[in-house]
Amino acid sequence: MSIVPKETIEVIAQSIGIPNLSPDVALALAPDVEYRLREITQEAIKCMRHSKRTVLTADDVDSALNLRNIEPIYGFASSDPLKFKRAIGHKDLFYLDDREVDFKEVIDAPLPKAPLDTAVVTHWLAIEGVQPAIPENPPIEAIVAPPDGKKMDHGKDDSLPIDLKLPIKHVLSRELQMYFDKIGELILGRADTPLFKDALLSLAKDSGLHPLVPYFSYFIADEVSRNLNNLPILFALMRVVKSLLSNPHIHIEPYLHQMMPSIITCLVAKRVGHQISDNHWAIRDFASKIVASICRRYGHVYHNLQSRLTKTLIHAFLDPSKALTQHYGAIQGLSALGPSVVRLLILPNLETYMQLLDPEMQLDKQKNELKRKEAWRVYGSLLLAGGSCLYDRLRLFPGLLSPPDILPWKTNKKIALTNLPNNKRKASSRLTAHQPPTKKLAVDPTGTNSQFPSTDGPVTSSSSGSNPNHHHSHNSSNNNSSSTGNITNANANINNVSGSGAHGQRVAVSNVLRQAWKEDLDAGHLLSSLHGLFGEGIFSFIQPAEMHCFI
Amino acid sequence: MEEEVEKAVFAYLRKKGFRLTEIALQEEQTRLSSDASSLSRSESDAAKYYDGYGKLRSWAYNSLDSYRHELLRVLYPVFIHCFMDLVAQGHMQEARTFFQTFREDHEMMHLRDLQKLEGILSPSHLEEMELARLWRQNKVKIRLCQYSYELLVQYLHKTQSLAMLGVINEHINFEVYPGQPASMSDDSEAVFLIGTSQDLAREINQKELHWGLLEDSVEERMEKTLSESDKTEVDGNKEADTEDNNKKKTDGNKHSTAVNNKKKKDKVVGATGKTIRSESSMVSVPPRVKPELTLPQFPPEVEQSILEDLRNRVQLNSLALPSVSFYTFLNTHNGLNCSTISHDGSLVAGGFSDSSVKIWDMAKIGQPGRASNPQGENGSMQGMHSLASDEAKRPYSLLQGHSGPVYSVSFSPFADFLLSSSSDNTIRLWSTRLNANLVSYKGHNFPVWDAQFSPMGHYFATASHDRTARLWSVERIQPLRVMAGHLSDVDCVQWHPNCNYIATGSSDKTVRLWDVQTGNCARLFIGHRSMVLSLAISPDGRFMASGDEDGTIMLWDLSTGRSVSPIIGHSSCVWTLAFSCEGTLLASGSADCMVKLWDITSSMKALKTDDSKSGPASRLRLLKALPTKSTPVYTLRFSRRNLLFAAGALSAGS
Repeated sequence: MSIVPKETIEVIAQSIGIPNLSPDVALALAPDVEYRLREITQEAIKCMRHSKRTVLTADDVDSALNLRNIEPIYGFASSDPLKFKRAIGHKDLFYLDDREVDFKEVIDAPLPKAPLDTAVVTHWLAIEGVQPAIPENPPIEAIVAPPDGKKMDHGKDDSLPIDLKLPIKHVLSRELQMYFDKIGELILGRADTPLFKDALLSLAKDSGLHPLVPYFSYFIADEVSRNLNNLPILFALMRVVKSLLSNPHIHIEPYLHQMMPSIITCLVAKRVGHQISDNHWAIRDFASKIVASICRRYGHVYHNLQSRLTKTLIHAFLDPSKALTQHYGAIQGLSALGPSVVRLLILPNLETYMQLLDPEMQLDKQKNELKRKEAWRVYGSLLLAGGSCLYDRLRLFPGLLSPPDILPWKTNKKIALTNLPNNKRKASSRLTAHQPPTKKLAVDPTGTNSQFPSTDGPVTSSSSGSNPNHHHSHNSSNNNSSSTGNITNANANINNVSGSGAHGQRVAVSNVLRQAWKEDLDAGHLLSSLHGLFGEGIFSFIQPAEMHCFI
Repeated sequence: MEEEVEKAVFAYLRKKGFRLTEIALQEEQTRLSSDASSLSRSESDAAKYYDGYGKLRSWAYNSLDSYRHELLRVLYPVFIHCFMDLVAQGHMQEARTFFQTFREDHEMMHLRDLQKLEGILSPSHLEEMELARLWRQNKVKIRLCQYSYELLVQYLHKTQSLAMLGVINEHINFEVYPGQPASMSDDSEAVFLIGTSQDLAREINQKELHWGLLEDSVEERMEKTLSESDKTEVDGNKEADTEDNNKKKTDGNKHSTAVNNKKKKDKVVGATGKTIRSESSMVSVPPRVKPELTLPQFPPEVEQSILEDLRNRVQLNSLALPSVSFYTFLNTHNGLNCSTISHDGSLVAGGFSDSSVKIWDMAKIGQPGRASNPQGENGSMQGMHSLASDEAKRPYSLLQGHSGPVYSVSFSPFADFLLSSSSDNTIRLWSTRLNANLVSYKGHNFPVWDAQFSPMGHYFATASHDRTARLWSVERIQPLRVMAGHLSDVDCVQWHPNCNYIATGSSDKTVRLWDVQTGNCARLFIGHRSMVLSLAISPDGRFMASGDEDGTIMLWDLSTGRSVSPIIGHSSCVWTLAFSCEGTLLASGSADCMVKLWDITSSMKALKTDDSKSGPASRLRLLKALPTKSTPVYTLRFSRRNLLFAAGALSAGS
């Protein structure tokens, strides 16, 4: 009858020292207990309202008890709402999670930080009825992005994207319009001025920009497709994207779908900028970082974001008809997503891909200097991806290198060491072979730099130094002891990449790589197979401590 | 012999048309004659209530469309009384099931009452609970049109549902009126009024109310300075009592001052805003009344600053919205109970649940938000600077003295003094210059929920859990008047601008207006459906706004005592309301983290067009909703220059 069951009364009676309360008494008391409870609750709610709160606290109940001249219940003082837990197996039974506290623990614990003192700050909630867009005010939610279709239609017949807002019921303040115009002007015209840096900072920090996001996203998409040949503009646009993404006051998720295509374009486009003179590799690297950061931040919100992205990239990577530049972008994008993605998607395909790539890298197979350069670039990025993946494995499980593998590697190392002078000579000869045409091709000095970018250390070293090791590794698997034969056979061996002698090992290598995605993969096996493909270059990714195992 | 009398009685009843009484009599007879055992009878009784009400309900819901809403009104009191009868007869279980079965119907209108009544579980509770006692002791009055009444009587006759008949006879008074049923929109009438309160309200609200402004106020003198030549005419306006008389005078006044304004415009350069203001106020110049209290005089320099403010006042209307400066309390740890802002916005005070009161001097902090209102930094404030220099470490002055949570704080008109009321039953007066407690007023027996300084200072009013509101003067430690009459806690109090009345809002869901001279209730406003939390009276003294726990804001016409327009203003408690200086805008602040601005002029115009007719024809128009960043709005205050100040505590977990 009453919501307080008589059992509760009995339990309470027991707890205050009345062991055998007759059931009749309990039954008679129950309704009154409920009534009193309601009474106290009603008073407590009054106290809560007068404290200008909407959540009832223990203090309110105490005040209500005070009002009725009842002693308050001690031990529940807390200014925060109490946290109740549901008893397992009961639908409507809750209890306070009241941990037992060890006195010693409390005494020994460092003093908690003193609570901050109350302070008053002022801001303008509205100026003549209009809310200024400052961090103190909530972001303006009322503005709804116009539907895409409408936007596209209008964009076609109107070259200026700023005019888009005309048909849309979306009031953009004059200041914002001017801001947008200025930013657009900077991107297209003066991206190298210090002013542009300030603009990027403003884009990354200002809180009132949310209404402009749809315009920016459209602007970026539009300009990227239009200026694929103009590297500085593309760079400027990507930096704007990065700034917008880092702005904590902007709610950018609804516009991601519009921005992603342009970023991916910058990443895997066949031609970005002038192939020869511009450092289009840098923008691919930059775009890959942006893509990775987007995936990290919004991956949990859009579950298919990363899967769709990787699908696009892996398509670009595995399609042999695509240009090497595209492959490079895809590899960079995938490796930026983290070592697990590399393990899952790149390593299983590594071997087949290397077969494809190898001829491109050889002086005698690929006569086009530019193509060869590109191939080396791709090779470098693959090495970086594989290496960082390996590094990650070793960092996580340092003890994973299995002893049996050490022995052969030791011998290998020796050979490598003995080979060193040769390698150097070879490398230098290769360099000298490269240099003159490069200079010829690159008219401006920046172009030469970009051919051999000093910025990415591993890539440079791998492209110049690891190639001889590469020959050598196959060689050594065939012919463990002879170093002289190695030198003489070097070129021949490379041509025999799929030769019968190497075949046995090859199967093993591909097997290992195919298993690469498995968590419990032996890092040693992974290392050996990667070494099989990349040679010594892979060692630069292993920490010195682990290196000791090999020497 | 007996039978003869009986027959005569029946004949008499029939002749007079007391059909219900007749039926009741018959029922009584049958009950007496039936000699069933008490136990079986009581059991069948319980079932009778259940069935009877169920049938009445389905009948009412299936009745004719145009009469249905009237008949449905009958259901609620019948429901409550059936429940109480069952409880009184000791059928706890049956009462519970009955209540649970049918409560849904009434939840929309009477949720809070139902929640209270739900707790009644034994006959003794009926005695104890205020609400229940009121229901039992008083009759509910229901207005029904002729035909609805006949329908009901016919139904009761036909079904011979004696239990229902008994309940209806015993507890409901029907007020039958001829003609068609009133329209559905008459919703405020449908809210049930217990007992005689409606009559009482009607009676009270017929009293004369001098809602006009004070004669010889600063504002009036301001107008006088603008129209020196027409002084006599303005003065003649003050005794205007009746509406017609007033209008005539207003017209005359309008003409003369308008002409005068044109003359003055060339001379007074800085008074452009002022001239517009006076033109707008001429639309209806409120009548002038004499103060009933001896009011203090403002010192000349203070008056000068008021005049300065009035001259610089920004004109606000539905097109020109105010600027809002928001004071956010940080790190309050859920401890801030109340706040207040001085008229010029230079001082902000907060009352905390740890019994302390803290005052921030915004001039000292030097916030840019105050730049437009520099009047606080006049000479008198300089003394305070040097005095407070030893406390320079703290950015605020801490006032300690209360021994319980502080529930309200209020500045005197010139921020010299601060009042605070607390759950320790006292009200304390503090000097903001000395940062010291001056007086502790003891008189209330329970926590004091609200304290407000009068617009002229010197007097203040308090509201308490002891169901009284009290009027005090700062120089006496005993209250001057005790206003008793509310049926539950008095939760908020507000002064009428002419200082002759105070308004109080209560947990009994009513708002009352009290005459400070007599201490009598001058108006009773019924219409809220939950506890009234905030009040504001328009500067011309004619309208009052009240906000409640559910987020409803109601606008009342003080002169007639009627509701102008009820609105669902917010989704949560309305903590604060404020009228702009011309009375054109109403600002409301709520627990839903919003400041909303409402257009008052449009609803007033609508009121004027059908002044004779009653009924809430118009609705308040929302002009602007300003959301804050998870900061419930505790206080709103329009400065004399029409800058809106708001304050609130940033709630944790954001």
